[in-house]
Amino acid sequence: MSEKKRVVVTGLGIASSIGMTADSFWSSLSSGTTGIRPITQIATDDFRTRIGGEIPQEQIDSSLKELGFRPDERSVSLAHIATAQALADAGLFTAGEPPVRSEAGVIYGTGVGAAHSLYAAYAAFAEKGMKGVRPTTVPRCMANSITAQLSMKFGLTGPNYVTVCACASATTAIGAAFRMIRDGYATQMLSGGSDAFFEPVTFAAWNNLGVMSRDPDPNRACKPFSADRDGCVLGEGAGTIVLENLEHALSRGAAIHAEIIGYGESSDAKHITSPSVDGQVQAMRAAIKCAGINPAEAALINAHGTATKANDETEASSIREVFGKAADSIPVVSNKSYFGHMLGASGASETIASILMLKNGKVVPNLNLENPDPACSLNLPTGSTIDLQGDIVVKNSFGFGGNNAVLVLKRAES
Amino acid sequence: MTDQEILEKLREIMKTSSQEEVDWDVVVPDSTIDGLGFDSLSILDLTYDIQQEFQVEFEAEEMVKVATVKDMIEFLKAKSA
Repeated sequence: MSEKKRVVVTGLGIASSIGMTADSFWSSLSSGTTGIRPITQIATDDFRTRIGGEIPQEQIDSSLKELGFRPDERSVSLAHIATAQALADAGLFTAGEPPVRSEAGVIYGTGVGAAHSLYAAYAAFAEKGMKGVRPTTVPRCMANSITAQLSMKFGLTGPNYVTVCACASATTAIGAAFRMIRDGYATQMLSGGSDAFFEPVTFAAWNNLGVMSRDPDPNRACKPFSADRDGCVLGEGAGTIVLENLEHALSRGAAIHAEIIGYGESSDAKHITSPSVDGQVQAMRAAIKCAGINPAEAALINAHGTATKANDETEASSIREVFGKAADSIPVVSNKSYFGHMLGASGASETIASILMLKNGKVVPNLNLENPDPACSLNLPTGSTIDLQGDIVVKNSFGFGGNNAVLVLKRAES
Repeated sequence: MTDQEILEKLREIMKTSSQEEVDWDVVVPDSTIDGLGFDSLSILDLTYDIQQEFQVEFEAEEMVKVATVKDMIEFLKAKSA
C-alpha cells in the first residue's frame, strides 16, 4: 500500500432536537439551549421516563419538503436530511436537482435500526396475524437499509455498509471511513449515524433497563459527571460528515472543516453493559498513537459522558490513566445534556459538535454540573463557552457490548 | 361506496406507495397503473394497503388483469360484493 493519505472533513449535516442544520445546532450548543422535551410519539403515561431529545414532527416534515424527499422509515428520513445537508455543504449536491453519481462510499452507524417499521410490523402481526405484516417489511427493516437508501438517494456507488455496535456505532463508522481514505481505498466517504427509537417497545425496554434519568425536568434531567446524576436521557437524530482525501479536497477547492488524524477501537471482552477501564484505555491509546501525538497535546476531550453512574466514573478513570497529569488541565465535556444520548448516532452528532468547537475556537460547557462527582475528578468546564486552547480534540464513544471507539480531530490548517 | 369514493381512496393509497412524483389530482379512471410509478416491490405495498383499507383479501397475482384505475375500481367492487 502506498503512503497514508491525510483525511479531512468537507461537509457537515445534522438532524437533531437542537437543530436541523449545522448552524442552528451550533447556535443551540453555544447558547446552552437543550432539546430535551416531553415525548409525543408515544403515550408515556405508564412510563417512568417521559422525556427525550425528540425532534418535532413539523421540523422533519419541513426539512423533507424543502428537499423534495418523501417520508420514509424515521431513521432513514433523518439520515436523508443530514446527508443532503452534508453533501450540499461539501458542494456535491443541490436540493431539487438529481444527485451526481460518484464513487463515494457510505459507512453509517445505527444502534437500533428501523425501529419504527419493526414496531409497526410486530403490532400488525399481533393484531391481524401473518396477513397483517406489510410485504416490504424485509427491505424496510434489514439492518443495512439506511446505507442502501442513502446510496440510492444520492448516487453513492462506493463501499456501503452499516456498523452496528450500540452507542459506538457512528464513531466506529467514521473510523472505518477514515481508514478507507487514509489507506487509499476511497477518495470520498460519507459517514455518521442515525437512530430514531421513540416507539413503545424500544422505549419501554430502555425504561425497564433502569439506566434512564427519572428527573421530570427536561432541562435538568441529563447531568453528566454530576454527583446527583441519575441516568441518561435518550435523543433521536442523525449526523453525517463528508470525509475526503486532503489532496482531492484541495484540488476541487473544497472548504475544509477539520482533519481526522487518528482512530482507535477496542472491545472490553468482559460484560455486555458494564464499561471497563481497560477497554477504554486501549481504544484511547490506539487513537492517540494513530494520530502521532502526545496525550498532553489534546486541547479538549469530548467524552461519551452518558450521565449514568457506571459510565461517567469509568470514563473519568480511563481518561486519568491515559492522560495522566495532563488530565488536570485538559477540559472534558459531554454534549449529551443538550440533545440526549443518540445511541448509534451519538458519535456522529458529537463529532460534528467537536468539529464546530474546533472551527469556532470555543468549548461548549457541561450543563447541570453544579455538584461534580468527586469520583469524576477532571477539568469539567461549566457556565458559558470558553476559548479552546489548542487544535486537537479527542472524541470518545463507548457502547453496550463493550465496544470502544475514539477519534482524534484537528483544526483545519489555514 | 361510489366509484368516486373508491377513486379518492385509491389516490391516497397510491401516493404513499408510488415511487414517482405523480400529479395525483389528474389521476382518472382511464389512467394506467403502469404509468403511476410502481415497480415489482412497490406493487406489493400497494396491494397490501388496498387490502387493509378496503378490508378485502386477494393474492397479488389476481391484479395481473388490472391495467387501469377503472379496472381496479371494478376489481375492488367485485371483491367487496
